[in-house]
Amino acid sequence: MTALPANDIVGTKSSRRPTGLLLVAAPVLLVCWLIIWPIISAIIRTVWLPDTAGERRFSLETYQFFFSDQYSINNLMVTLWTTAVTALILLLICLPIALYLRFATNRIAAYVQGLAIFPMFVPSIILSYAFIRVLGPNGTVDLLLNAVHLPHIRSPYLTPWGPVLGLVWDNIPLTVLILLSGLGNVSNQSIEAARDVGAGRIAVLWHIILPRISNSLLVAVSFTVLGIFSAFTLPYVLGPAAPEMMGPFMQRTFRDLNDPTTAITQAVIAFGFCIVFGLFYVYSVAKNRAP
Amino acid sequence: MARALIEKRTDWTGIGFAAVLTIVIIFPLLVVGTWAFTNVWRYPSVIPQEFGLKFWQQTLARADVWSSITTSLSLSVTVTLLSCVICLPAAYAFARMEFPARNLLFFSFLAGHAFPKFGLLVAIAGIFLQLNLIATFWGVVLIQLVGTLLFMIWIPVAAFQSVDRRMEEAARDVGAKPFRVFWSITLPQAGPTIAAAVLLSFVGTFYETEGAWLIGAPQIRTLPVLMISFINNQPVIQYGAVLSVILWVPSFAALLFARRIISSGSFARGFGG
Repeated sequence: MTALPANDIVGTKSSRRPTGLLLVAAPVLLVCWLIIWPIISAIIRTVWLPDTAGERRFSLETYQFFFSDQYSINNLMVTLWTTAVTALILLLICLPIALYLRFATNRIAAYVQGLAIFPMFVPSIILSYAFIRVLGPNGTVDLLLNAVHLPHIRSPYLTPWGPVLGLVWDNIPLTVLILLSGLGNVSNQSIEAARDVGAGRIAVLWHIILPRISNSLLVAVSFTVLGIFSAFTLPYVLGPAAPEMMGPFMQRTFRDLNDPTTAITQAVIAFGFCIVFGLFYVYSVAKNRAP
Repeated sequence: MARALIEKRTDWTGIGFAAVLTIVIIFPLLVVGTWAFTNVWRYPSVIPQEFGLKFWQQTLARADVWSSITTSLSLSVTVTLLSCVICLPAAYAFARMEFPARNLLFFSFLAGHAFPKFGLLVAIAGIFLQLNLIATFWGVVLIQLVGTLLFMIWIPVAAFQSVDRRMEEAARDVGAKPFRVFWSITLPQAGPTIAAAVLLSFVGTFYETEGAWLIGAPQIRTLPVLMISFINNQPVIQYGAVLSVILWVPSFAALLFARRIISSGSFARGFGG
């Protein structure tokens, strides 16, 4: 709440234009109230617990409970597994697409770029529905396999692979765009120079391209990690009932079990696992943008 | 890949990507579209037995569908208007005025993006619980409003900054008042980008599911929230398919009008790329 000295500054000499501060006050206040304060309050609430007499004291017991409860740990593990697998698959899919788009200029490339960005315009709830219709039991894939007398697939619907596939689909556009933006920093000359001295395709990729886009790769990974830790709709609709990912777990603890303190503890633990990625991500965004 | 730079032959890599992406991205959506216009499609037929609009009539006759559409639209309009009122003047101030702590305040809008969003929502919900804002319209408005701040400030700031200052000065030199300069010079140049930001925030709010579900349920039921319950509990497949098609309309508008902004490099840089 320290960011708002608007009233102190109006009328003092240190400020040239207090009007500016007044104009930005409303959204800044909103950020303080609904982002910064909830985070601080979440940490305070979960370590400063009321005891049986109603007095608050410092205690880490909600965290001890989380890390001693096998069900909570399983949920955390499946979230970490989903994060790792999704990030890996995303890079394996999006890096080749971005590399192709960086160097191709024909009409097929324009079509591929349009397709890669398209999922951004499909809300994840429609995606979930489409996923079930195509890959779910008796879905279109089963229909087609049945028509050519092949056995049914083992549907990823309601298994941990359901959210993975959904999240990969959903995250393709931004990953491709971030990587493509990074590849813009790789000059054609540097690649031609490397090829002139006999470097093969793999060598160019490894020694010239990857070092120059390492920052974009990290940004893409950070963005994915943040997104998956907070994913709710796709894991809730496509994932198994147990173990569940952190998003549905928090929601169920908060609303269905009516236990806000435990839900907020889970949120703070999610913050803890993402904080490095989050700070790096915010730093990268800020670095690219001066007001 | 790099080969395309040197060789000018058939672009097999591109054709491969195009084919795979078409199957993976377009095909599932076509399946949903087909279901929406299907009266009868029984296993194991590969194509529907009977096409038709029967389920459009049935879906549109449902009271829960209409109340969700109304809720979603009134939420999105309220949030977008509020967001315009508080964010656009702020964006103008960030772009054009000098004031203390300007950079710090400008970057403060990033604060929410350093944390996983759903965890943040749970933390906010903890505060709303004490304020009795859970399951109220204004509780959902507040939570969705926070989600629009970054977009609605950063994109318009860039728009205001790209306005040619010399034109404004020229107008002022010939005697135009500040408001007249803003109306006739600044706004027409910054307008299209700001309109795109407004559209994106409307569409983003329309599809915002997590906050509406966590804060609003069960009283406030938006279209995406209704869709979740259709997926989980509705045995008639076509209801979900028809609702998906209806639900996609705002995205389609965004696709038509905002695609150029999203394809541009500055958008990806806005995400740290």
